[in-house]
Amino acid sequence: MAKHHPSNDLLMEYAAGSLPIAQAACISAHLSYCDRCRRTYDQLQTVGGTMLERLEPVPVSEALLDTVLARLEDPAPLAYSGQTEASEIPGLLERLINKDFGQLVWKRVTRALSVSYLSTGDMQHEFALLRIAAGGRIPEHTHGGNEMTLVLEGGFSDGRDSYHPGDFIFRSSDDTHAPVALDGEDCICLTVLDAPLRFTSWQHRWLNPFLKLRAG
Amino acid sequence: MVENKSGDESDSGRNSGKWAVPTGRRTDEWSECLVLIGNSNDRASFTRFFRHFAPLIKAFALAGSSLSAAHADELVQEVMLKVWQKASGFNPEKAAASTWIYTIARNCRTDMFRRLQKFDTPLAADDLNIELEGEEPFTVLHTRRGSDRIKDLMGQLPPDQAQILAKVYMEGKSHSEAAAELDLPLGTVKSRVRLAIQKLQVQMDRQ
Repeated sequence: MAKHHPSNDLLMEYAAGSLPIAQAACISAHLSYCDRCRRTYDQLQTVGGTMLERLEPVPVSEALLDTVLARLEDPAPLAYSGQTEASEIPGLLERLINKDFGQLVWKRVTRALSVSYLSTGDMQHEFALLRIAAGGRIPEHTHGGNEMTLVLEGGFSDGRDSYHPGDFIFRSSDDTHAPVALDGEDCICLTVLDAPLRFTSWQHRWLNPFLKLRAG
Repeated sequence: MVENKSGDESDSGRNSGKWAVPTGRRTDEWSECLVLIGNSNDRASFTRFFRHFAPLIKAFALAGSSLSAAHADELVQEVMLKVWQKASGFNPEKAAASTWIYTIARNCRTDMFRRLQKFDTPLAADDLNIELEGEEPFTVLHTRRGSDRIKDLMGQLPPDQAQILAKVYMEGKSHSEAAAELDLPLGTVKSRVRLAIQKLQVQMDRQ
């Protein structure tokens, strides 16, 4: 059961459909792990339903009703059928990945850290999987913007706390951290960034010019 | 001082009373109607459902002048067709008809915005919906109670909080967009949202 959750603010924006798609996908993936947030989300949607009910109705023409009635027997568009079988990976990600983690193209950033970029179409956000080798450390870094992280496999610790599958972490630009993967297995996380990360230690700062945001 | 931007003239002077007075009727009438549509493809029930909800969906589409009248009608059409196609999956134990159709309308509108902006994505808004099977009856009951409570408490929200929720839910604005449009600091918007969530006791089931 996840211990770290998105704020109510984020859940509300998600429930109202106003989050950018990459961030919404990350929240959605967290909800597939977390009953508690799903209940909150249900209630936040009820707020939307209640507001809809109370809107001042705007008249709709009879012709529109006729058009809709005439189209009722149109075949329904094919829909993605949700989670396939008993998978550990949230269905949505499975769909974006289209294979398992091992088959993705991983790009090495440091000895302990590799990254694989996924495409959501969101031009403001990078949507990527990070793989941190068991026990490996990501050099201390900060961000020019916000970072969402969702642990998918393994776990990591950042000195404040430790994080396990399903845990969701939101960091703003002024946070500096140096996550260390837990021993025993590689840690795989989903991250959503709106600005590239910046290494802060002198040993790694030379990498910064190479760390462009890969949005899209 | 605050302009309501929903673009149709019936809007003026409706800031606090932004919504019509609730009928006092439980939405159960519409949930039953939806069940009839789902179970027996009942066109008469669908027509009744359409007459009630289509004008609300149109109001939703026009909120914040985000869509033209033609696109608003297109949205109504899309939403109502989805209602017909998805009605058999509606579970009245889990959600009220209004919440169910809100989710459909929200997703259709998001997809329409993206289409209009030629935004290319492999994900439809629907793909992000989490539908879980076999939730515990207790959880369902709990959710349902929470929902009833929210409906009751909604009418008691102070206008400044209700106004922000309207921006967020009906116009699909992010908190920072709402702040910019209402000319308020983001912190004020966030604290009103927080107060509203407390008032509606959304958190009651969380701890």
